[in-house]
Amino acid sequence: MTKDSLRKFYVWFTVLGLLVGGLVVLGYYRDEDREWKDYQRKYAQEEIRRASNPQQRALAERIPIQIRQILLPDLNRVDRCTTCHLAVDDPSYGGYPQPLAYHPLHEQHPVEKFGCTVCHRGQGRATTAADAHGNVPHWDDAMLPLKYIQASCGKCHQAADNPGAPELARGQQVFEESGCRGCHKLAGVGGLIGPELDKVGARRSPGWLKEHFLSPGTVTPGSGMPPQKFSEPDLDAITLFMLSQVGETTPGYYASMKVIPGVAAGQRLFQEKGCIGCHSIAGKGGTIGPALDDVGSRRSPEWMMQHFREPQAVTSGTVMPKFGFTEEEARALTDFLVHLHEQNVASSLPSAMNPVERGHEVYRNYGCAGCHGPEGKGGVPNPNAKTAQLVPDLIHVADGYTNDELKERILKGQREITPLDPNRPQPPLYMPAWGGIIKDAQVDDLVAYLMSLKPKGEESGF
Amino acid sequence: MKEFLPKRIWQWFERTRVGRSIFRVGLPQSNLERAQAMVSSFLLHMQPAKVNRHSLRASYSFGLGLISLYLFLILTFTGVLLMFYYVPSTDHAYNVMKDLQFVVSAGLIMRNMHRWAAHLMVIFVLLHMCRVFYTGAYKRPREFNWVLGVGLFLLTLGLSFTGYLLPWDQLAYWAITVGTNIAAYAPYIGPELKYVMLGGNAVGQEALIRFYALHVIVLPAIAGFLIAVHIWRVRKDGGLSRPDEAGDTVQQVELSQLPTSKTYGLMELARGTTPQVGRNPEDEVFAWPHLIFRELLLFLLVVAAVLFLAVFWNAPLEELANPVHPPNPAKAPWYFLGLQELVSYSAFWGGVVVPGVLVLALVLLPYLDHNRKGVGRWFARDRVVANTIFTVCLVIAIVLTIIGTLFRGPNWSWQEPWKKPPAVTESH
Repeated sequence: MTKDSLRKFYVWFTVLGLLVGGLVVLGYYRDEDREWKDYQRKYAQEEIRRASNPQQRALAERIPIQIRQILLPDLNRVDRCTTCHLAVDDPSYGGYPQPLAYHPLHEQHPVEKFGCTVCHRGQGRATTAADAHGNVPHWDDAMLPLKYIQASCGKCHQAADNPGAPELARGQQVFEESGCRGCHKLAGVGGLIGPELDKVGARRSPGWLKEHFLSPGTVTPGSGMPPQKFSEPDLDAITLFMLSQVGETTPGYYASMKVIPGVAAGQRLFQEKGCIGCHSIAGKGGTIGPALDDVGSRRSPEWMMQHFREPQAVTSGTVMPKFGFTEEEARALTDFLVHLHEQNVASSLPSAMNPVERGHEVYRNYGCAGCHGPEGKGGVPNPNAKTAQLVPDLIHVADGYTNDELKERILKGQREITPLDPNRPQPPLYMPAWGGIIKDAQVDDLVAYLMSLKPKGEESGF
Repeated sequence: MKEFLPKRIWQWFERTRVGRSIFRVGLPQSNLERAQAMVSSFLLHMQPAKVNRHSLRASYSFGLGLISLYLFLILTFTGVLLMFYYVPSTDHAYNVMKDLQFVVSAGLIMRNMHRWAAHLMVIFVLLHMCRVFYTGAYKRPREFNWVLGVGLFLLTLGLSFTGYLLPWDQLAYWAITVGTNIAAYAPYIGPELKYVMLGGNAVGQEALIRFYALHVIVLPAIAGFLIAVHIWRVRKDGGLSRPDEAGDTVQQVELSQLPTSKTYGLMELARGTTPQVGRNPEDEVFAWPHLIFRELLLFLLVVAAVLFLAVFWNAPLEELANPVHPPNPAKAPWYFLGLQELVSYSAFWGGVVVPGVLVLALVLLPYLDHNRKGVGRWFARDRVVANTIFTVCLVIAIVLTIIGTLFRGPNWSWQEPWKKPPAVTESH
C-alpha cells in the first residue's frame, strides 16, 4: 500500500464529495428561490414606505416571508393566491398594479370565506404565477378571463335572480331562446342528440366554445350541430353561460346564499310554493286567502316578514301554513309583494295563461326552436334528410296530424329519419322521444300550441 | 509529506475516549489492522478481509449490482421522506403531489430523486443481470444466487409498478389500468389476479391502498431481505466470479471428507463452498482500502447522478386521474411497453405465453446450462450459443419496448415520433 495509490483515492473522494456537495447546494438554492418571495419582499417594502410612524414601521418590518393560504374545506380547496396577492383585502391598495391590487366587491365575498379560485378558477395550490393562473400543461382549469367572470356567479346564485350578474342572465336568455335544449340536456331537461351540458364549463375553454357555436364541424369533426348565427354580444353571453355550467354544487354556507333577495326571486318563489292556490292577483288565483293586489299599501314589510316566518304570530287563527322560508326567501317574497303594483306579474302567472300560451312556453322551454325554428316557422339544415335536407317546419301540423297522433309523435320521437340518399350518412338530427321529460299535461298544451300555428284563413293543403 | 486534512481530523477523533469506544480498530496502519478493521466492524464484516484483484476491475463488473443496491438505499431514504406527506386516498394523493411541488421544502427534489432512482434501478438491475449472464457468472456454485437475482429483478418491477399508481394522476391511473389488464390475460387465474390486485374491477380507492401497502411495506421488506441473502451468497459462493487463471479458485469443502482426529475452528466447519482466503497471496489485496474506498466512491457517484437528474428534471405529473377520460393511447409504464406491444399482436401469446416462458427460462437457466466453461470472462467463445440466444431475446425485448414507447400513437397505430400525430376525432 503506497502513499501514492491512497492519494489517488483521496483526490477522487474530494472531487466526488465536492460534486455531491455542490449539487446539494444547487438543489437547496433552487428550492429556496421561489418567485412568491420576491412579491412578498416588494409588499413588505411598500408597507415600510407607507408607514407613517415608528410603530407602523416596526410592524411592517416584521412582516414574515411565508406562504399564505386560505383553507376552504367546504369547497374542497386550498387557495394560496394570497401568497402573492397580499393586499386583496386592503382597500388602500386600490389601483395598485398586480399582484398587489385590492379586490373590489370584497364586502359581499370576503376572501377568507370564499378564497379565490371558486370564482376565478386556476390552480389554488400553486405558488408560481404560471401554475396558479393555470395556463400550463396538464392543468385543465385555467383562470377565467375577466370578461367571463360572471359565469362563476351561477355556482351559487340563480342566473335570473342575480342583479349583479346581468351577463349571466343574458346568457341564459340566449340559451333558452336559441332552443339549445332541443338537442342538449341541461339540468336534466333537454334532448339527447348532442352531449349533456351539465359540466361543459369545466371541460371547455372560452375559445373552444365560441368556435363551436360558429362552426361546430371545425372543433368537433362530424358534428351534426347547425352553425349558429349569434351577434357578437350574444355569442359572448352564451359562451359565458356555458362556462357557468361546471356541475359544481356549493355546500352549506354558500348554498344558503342561493336566493338573492329581490323581486325576481320573490316571483319565482311565489309560483313555486303555489301561493296562487289561496291568494289571487288581478283576479286570478284562489279565494281562501285575501287578494294580494294592494297588499303593499295595506301591510308593512316588517309585517310581511313576520307573516312568512310565523303566520300565527301576526294573524291569529289563520289557516296559512308555516312554510319554513329562509330569511333570504322571506325577504325576496316581501320584495315581490311590496313592488307588486309596479309590475305586470299577473300575466306571467301560470294559471293566467290559456293552453296555447302555455304550450308556447313549453315550446320555448324545451328547445323545440333549436331545430324547428322560432314559432315553428322553419327548420335548420339536416343534411341528407328527405325533407329537403331541413328539419321540417311545424306550421302545418294541424293538416297532417290529429291531436293524439301529434302527441304520440312528441312522446315517442322518431329515431330514424328517412334519408334523401341512402348511400350518404344518416341525417345527424332526429326527433328525440320526449316522453318522461315533458309532463303529460304540458304535452297537451304543446299540442294545442302547435295546432294553433296554422296561418289564419289558410285552406288545408291536402 | 503532510497528511490529508480529513485524515488527520479522523486520527485525532479516534484517539479520543469516544472514538476509541466506537471504533475498536482505528484507521488501519498495518496489514494486521486492515484485516482487523474488516472483521471487527458490523458493516464491514459482511465483506472479506482480502479480495481478489480481478474482482476490483471496473471493466469486469462495472459495479452494476452495487449501483442497484445504492439506488435501493436512495429510494428507501427518499421514500420514507415522501411517506411523511403522502396520503393513500384518491381525494388527497394528487393534492399531496401538488403540495410537494409548491410548498414543501425540497419536496419536489425528493420526489424527483425517487422517480429517477426508480427508473434507474430498473435499468441497472437489468444491466446487472446482463453482466452476470455474459460473464457466465450464474454457473456452479452460483446457480441459486442467479435465481435470487431473477426474483429481485421481478421485485424491482413490482416496486416500480406499485409506486407508479401513487401520484394518482392520469399517467398513473391509465398505466396501471393497462398494466393490470395485461395481467388479466393469464388463463384461468388472470381475471381473478386482476381483481385481487385492484380490490375490484377497476382502479380505484381499493387499488390505491393495496398498491400503497405493497409499495411501502411488503415489497421493500421482501426485497431488502432478498438483497441481504443475495449479497451474503456472493461471499459464500466465493466472491465475484472470475476465470481460473485469476487464481484463488473456490474450494468445495465437504464435511465428510474432513479428518476426524482434529479440532476445528468454526470457519473450517462451514458447509459448502467458501472462499479460500490467502491461498495465492499475490492475487489478493486487502479489502481496506482497495474495495471499501472504491465502494464509497461509487456511492458518491450514484448519489451525484441521481441528484443531478433531480435538480434539473422534474418527475412527470399529469392531470388528476379521471376514470372517464382515457388518454389515447393509454400506455403501461415503459418497462412493460414491450409486453403491451406483444399484447397488441396477441393477448394470449404476448401477454401470457411469451413472458411466462421467459421468466421460467431465466429461473431455470443455471440448471439447464450444463456448459461449465467460460466463467469470469465477457463473451467467452465457449458460450457462443448461450450468448447468441440471450442477445437475440434481449434485442427483441428492447426493440419491442422502443416501438411501444416511441412509435405507437392513437389506437396503438404506427406513429413516427418525429411526425405530428393526426388530429384525433373527439367523441362527444
